[in-house]
Amino acid sequence: MHVHVLVIGALFALPGLFVLLRTLQLGGELGETLRASMAPLGRTTLLATSVSITAAVLGTSLAWILVRSDVPGRSVWRVIVVLPLVLPTFVGAAAFLAALTNGGVLAEALALVGAEAPRFRGFWPTWFVLTLFTYPYVFLPVSARLLALSPTLEESARVLGRSALQTFRSVTLPQLSGAVGSGGLLVFLYTVSEFGAVQLLGYDTLTRVIFASRVSNRATSFTASLVLVVLATVVVVGERSRRRNRPSDDPIRTHPTEPVALGPWRFPALALVLTTATFGLFVPIASLTTWAIRGLTNNNVGFDGLAEAAINTASVGVATAFIAVLVVLPLATLLVRHRSRTGEIASIAVVGGFAVPGLVIALSLVFWTLNAPVVGALYQTLPLLIAAYVIHFGSQALGAAEDSVRAVPRDLRESSRLLEPSPVRRMTTVDLPLMRPSLVSGGGLVLLSTIKELPATLLLAPTGFRTLATEVWGSYEEGFYAEVGVSGLILVVLSAALTWILVLRRTDVIRDSGSNGP
Amino acid sequence: MFGTLDTVLAPSHSSSVQNALSVQRALSPERVLVNDVSVSLGGGTVVHNAQLDVDAGQVLALLGPSGCGKTTLLRAIAGLQEHHGGSITIGDEIVSDARTFVAPERRRVGMVFQDGGLFPHLTVEQNVGFGLRNHDNPTQRINEMLELVSMSEFGKRLPGTLSGGQRQRIAVARALAPEPSVLLLDEPFSALDAGLRVQIRREVKRLIAALGITTIVVTHDQEEAFAMGEHIAVMSNGAIEQVGTPAELYTSPASPWVAEFVGDGARFVGHYDGAFVTTPFGKVPAHAAGSALPVDEEVVVIVRPEQLILHPGTAGAVVDVEYYGHDVRYDIVLTDGRRATVRSVRADFAAGDHVDVSFDGSSVPAWPTT
Repeated sequence: MHVHVLVIGALFALPGLFVLLRTLQLGGELGETLRASMAPLGRTTLLATSVSITAAVLGTSLAWILVRSDVPGRSVWRVIVVLPLVLPTFVGAAAFLAALTNGGVLAEALALVGAEAPRFRGFWPTWFVLTLFTYPYVFLPVSARLLALSPTLEESARVLGRSALQTFRSVTLPQLSGAVGSGGLLVFLYTVSEFGAVQLLGYDTLTRVIFASRVSNRATSFTASLVLVVLATVVVVGERSRRRNRPSDDPIRTHPTEPVALGPWRFPALALVLTTATFGLFVPIASLTTWAIRGLTNNNVGFDGLAEAAINTASVGVATAFIAVLVVLPLATLLVRHRSRTGEIASIAVVGGFAVPGLVIALSLVFWTLNAPVVGALYQTLPLLIAAYVIHFGSQALGAAEDSVRAVPRDLRESSRLLEPSPVRRMTTVDLPLMRPSLVSGGGLVLLSTIKELPATLLLAPTGFRTLATEVWGSYEEGFYAEVGVSGLILVVLSAALTWILVLRRTDVIRDSGSNGP
Repeated sequence: MFGTLDTVLAPSHSSSVQNALSVQRALSPERVLVNDVSVSLGGGTVVHNAQLDVDAGQVLALLGPSGCGKTTLLRAIAGLQEHHGGSITIGDEIVSDARTFVAPERRRVGMVFQDGGLFPHLTVEQNVGFGLRNHDNPTQRINEMLELVSMSEFGKRLPGTLSGGQRQRIAVARALAPEPSVLLLDEPFSALDAGLRVQIRREVKRLIAALGITTIVVTHDQEEAFAMGEHIAVMSNGAIEQVGTPAELYTSPASPWVAEFVGDGARFVGHYDGAFVTTPFGKVPAHAAGSALPVDEEVVVIVRPEQLILHPGTAGAVVDVEYYGHDVRYDIVLTDGRRATVRSVRADFAAGDHVDVSFDGSSVPAWPTT
């Protein structure tokens, strides 16, 4: 029936199925490699669980403080505390390491008080860095939920005899649980598939094992990949079934909510906001900046390489965005206009592509091209890199593509048909203009993710093909902090600009200044 | 026997009202006194020196256009909005003034919001039982309340699965469950569509009457205010313009603005000779509705459509006819360009017909021109 959509679904399912197949082929060896994967699995689970919990608590607290309380300057803080999102976690980790090394901002600050910089390796630093750069995934949905929540719910509870604190527990918190849960899930999946930061900070999770053993011990690498995919799948499926029974119905918001007066509590509240912004944004940016300035004044940064890397990053990103949108559009059309089972199955494969870590996608594409007869020529070519990006980030374009199809409802298509006989002109004068905003934003999200991506780029980029991400990575590994600073800053600025245009500008969290006017 | 009789009299509501009567003793309605209350919001004063006195067991409708401050005043009574100046008293207790502020959870008021304010994560039963934490037998009370609003079989459902009307019934049951001494309704029916609105309004009115609870209902709909309220307070721009029975408001509005807000009418300025005012329909008996009328000077009058009678003639022409079944509304343009509206039970005229307009002899409200 809808063969084209099945082909799309198969493309997205390919890496996961390939890993599954290769692992099953291991036969007797499987038991041994599986046992070897248990300890890293434990560390991955421990890290992902702790980071999700702290990110959930931090994100929810900040959201409540900045949306519902009268803490001073909250509309400005609300923008600032989202900004750690623009730092790719491996850049954030590198920035902290560069800050703590000799000559880094934190090391110098500590030297002022006579303290020595701590050794920044292992579980706690990894947990700290990942929490700092992922809590916005909780903050954004929870703030949006708080802003959308009808004040009559809390007011009803008060009139029915509950105190402010009891009301928060029995009414507000249950309303937020969905947003906290979905944000927390995102953080969990990010942490599970995180490679750059755990590698830099030396915490042996599954991704680190996969990377380390990818050449020397393929069996372990594949088994660890499969374990990782299974873990991600279990978590996603668990969350989906938990959410199925959730009522999606909301009362209308009739009037603005009065901010809660914190009194003396506003000092600890403000301290939490300040600390988060300091470590999540100011310290890493200051660290990158000081090294960048040092490198620029000493003239030892290779600008030619950087310009090339920036151009490569942008062009591969834009190409990926285009292709991803084109690939998911037929599926989106099917999903919106016809309720089809084929479409649902294909969409699960597309969404699954996001849950499978980029490292695993890259790995399976590498082995597939190296071992299959015809496709071998694709190894270390741009098309293969772009294919990996599309499989990993296609789901981010899917939602927007569905919106774009919804933007041309049936009555509009029918009226344009009655008025304009040429299908091409209908497409260019009616369909495309209506679909464009959603398609652009979907493509933009893919672009944003692509420029921040590291492991797939490391594994699949053609030899000598440098991107900003590989530049930061390579410079750090060679100890060129100045180049880490410059390329990191360029990456952050690019990602900040895209995040602002595509994500933040559109969210109510930023737009609604939380005024208490009538 | 009674069952049969009830069924004949009020087929769908018999059990509700019987139940309401049985729980009547449990409620002790209280008087609500709003004295010189002002409220500021976002830098502007939205309620100016409001004065209200609602007797125990009385139903008062707070009527005004949107943005007039009526909801804010209601929220101040509930304790959801602080006010400056004046005091609010429920029963014998001052619940808020310059020194006191009783938290909303301690005021023993029930409130029904425009959107119902039902907790979407709790079942209907849990919603109704939400205010019953200190009740001896919450389960029995929940069942009682659900029966009262004819929603017994919906106890296990989530609010999201109910229709708008059902949700408002549950919201009323939830507000009444803890036996409040005052019931506050904030535009409770305005989210419902027209037919349902009238039906639910009648049910709630019957329930309130049976329970005898002091009730304040906020609405922007004149018809709703007249249907619900024994007394009506009309608000405009943050001030209470007039308090009275529906009939008082309609026949003796305190100002031309009130007159036009509570009903159709044509405004004319004419000479007042101490008993009659000159209008395009001849001399009309007038009474002072607000302040005293200056004799031998111009005054303002409002003529209601039902006070005018149409005849074939030449004084004007019918420009529009709206046929309602029980009556017909005619828009008339007089030869001098002035307009009037006429309501008649007879559909004798069509658009374009030339007519004379005469007056039925009843008295019209009048005010000084300044």
